[in-house]
Amino acid sequence: MSDMSIARPAATHAPRAVTPLSVQLAMFWLALMFAIALLADVISPYGYADINLRSRLLPPAFMGGAWAHPLGTDELGRDVMSRLFVSIRISLVIAFGATIIGALIGVSLGFLAAHFRGWVEQVVLALVDFSAAIPFLVLALAILAFFGNSLVLFVCLLGLHAWERYARIARGLAISGNSQGYAAAVRQIGATPARLYGKHILPNIASTLIVSMTLAFPEIILLESGLSFLGLGVQPPGTSLGNMVGFGREYISSAPWIMLAPAVVITVTTLSVSLLGDWLRDRLDPTLN
Amino acid sequence: MLYYVLSRLGRAIVTVLMVVTFAFVVLRLSGDPATVIMGADAPPEAVDRFRRAWGLDQPIWIQYIAFFKAVFTGDLGQSMRDGRDAIVLVMERVPATLMLTIPALFIKIGVGIPAGVYAALYRNSAIDRTVMVLAVTGFAMPSFILGLLLVLIFAVTLGWLPSGGQGTLAHAVLPIITMGLGGAALLARFTRSAMLEVLGQSYIRTGSAKGLAWARVVWRHALPNAAIPTVTIVGFMVGSLIAGAVVVESVFSWPGVGRLLVVSVANRDLAVVQTILLLIAMTMICANLIVDLLYGLLDPRIRGAARPVRAAS
Repeated sequence: MSDMSIARPAATHAPRAVTPLSVQLAMFWLALMFAIALLADVISPYGYADINLRSRLLPPAFMGGAWAHPLGTDELGRDVMSRLFVSIRISLVIAFGATIIGALIGVSLGFLAAHFRGWVEQVVLALVDFSAAIPFLVLALAILAFFGNSLVLFVCLLGLHAWERYARIARGLAISGNSQGYAAAVRQIGATPARLYGKHILPNIASTLIVSMTLAFPEIILLESGLSFLGLGVQPPGTSLGNMVGFGREYISSAPWIMLAPAVVITVTTLSVSLLGDWLRDRLDPTLN
Repeated sequence: MLYYVLSRLGRAIVTVLMVVTFAFVVLRLSGDPATVIMGADAPPEAVDRFRRAWGLDQPIWIQYIAFFKAVFTGDLGQSMRDGRDAIVLVMERVPATLMLTIPALFIKIGVGIPAGVYAALYRNSAIDRTVMVLAVTGFAMPSFILGLLLVLIFAVTLGWLPSGGQGTLAHAVLPIITMGLGGAALLARFTRSAMLEVLGQSYIRTGSAKGLAWARVVWRHALPNAAIPTVTIVGFMVGSLIAGAVVVESVFSWPGVGRLLVVSVANRDLAVVQTILLLIAMTMICANLIVDLLYGLLDPRIRGAARPVRAAS
């Protein structure tokens, strides 16, 4: 390895052999979140919607409460920990779904622009300008006002977030890929455009796209929790992390734990994904260095 | 330069047209306005009269043109809640929002940019590490959580400041700090990486090699170049002066445009939502246009290019 690093003096980042502790912790936290999301039904001590009016607003175990409800109970006597587990599942599922939808839309439009150029490209670029002109939260609020709310619409809506970023990246990389030898060679052999973009160009730009997805993922978690916090996202009896914070706000002086548990989960999860994304970017993405 | 200004202006106008078109399409897709406003069980004659009065019996493209005319003459319909003109209702709320967002903008710029520059100049020092930890945490913590934590600390536990509402100056403190800190974290991160990139350039090395004082290298050569990506973010923040307060206003029950937007969405008060959407989009487009023109002033290389090189957002 040593003579390789001498041979490439231009490399700005030497590949780090050791994963930093912060990234290890982030990976551990995310693994824990995924495990909770998968096993939410099995490990929840109570049903997330089970109401027990005799045990309302019980404090969590570390604030002098009983271990029967480790994270306390809310205003209807529902177990905060069970609700938290289910909320983690819902929020992660929504964020995953939305990230994938956004990447699909963005990459498809970016490839279309790169393939046809001309007016198709101008239309795509105008759409990019359009979505840059309206803050996404406001756009989402407007669409929710006009169409009402349903879970499917909500996920698709969040999927529109950041599509323009993928579109810009995919277009740029596909244009430069098209001018390279391998693309010309594949085209000469007679591959269809679908094959060229799907099997040859996409794998070549995948690492950049994956990095963008890890950067968009926490933003979607924040958007989802923000909208749910405002009461315009996931609707009761469903629950999500932002939704829990929103309803817990009413009890901020008497029972702050209702709000604090999901708030900590949101913050630490987005922090972990961002740390992991930054680290991945340094390692994987040659264009962003 | 003239070509550059004209092309940016053209793009801004196209975007305005697209936003208005979007509002029109979404409004029409959301259902027949006659039945929405009159109710499903209104008598058919009344619905017909309504349609004729509002031009809804005309072909769609005539309606489209009429919609444009209405938007540009400021006739955006009435609020379904209290029957007043939507535009009046919205404009009433603008001062309250600006009262929060303008001081918050000063905090963002005043804290974020110096912190980012300082962190970059003393890379890997204890201060750099502290700034970065705070900045990354600030990004990961959504504004409503930061706001509620501040309420928990300063209103509930210490009792120093009110937790929400409006009236005295003290009511504005927590919302301004909430917005200011979040934005400062973002700006510090951006400024730091822009600054680090510039400091790695060869002209900086040349500057110090030919014996310039380090302060002069930083002020004359590094800062102006690092300003270019930073201007994008600041421009975005200026553009969000109205839109940026949606969540924070709701946390602190502050009667601004954002609170009005959330309430109107919940009530499906379409005229008001549409007015706010257009107002926010216009603000953003103007800010983006100014940023693009500033780019041309700051960086002579961009003037010739058809599309400005924007920093990844």
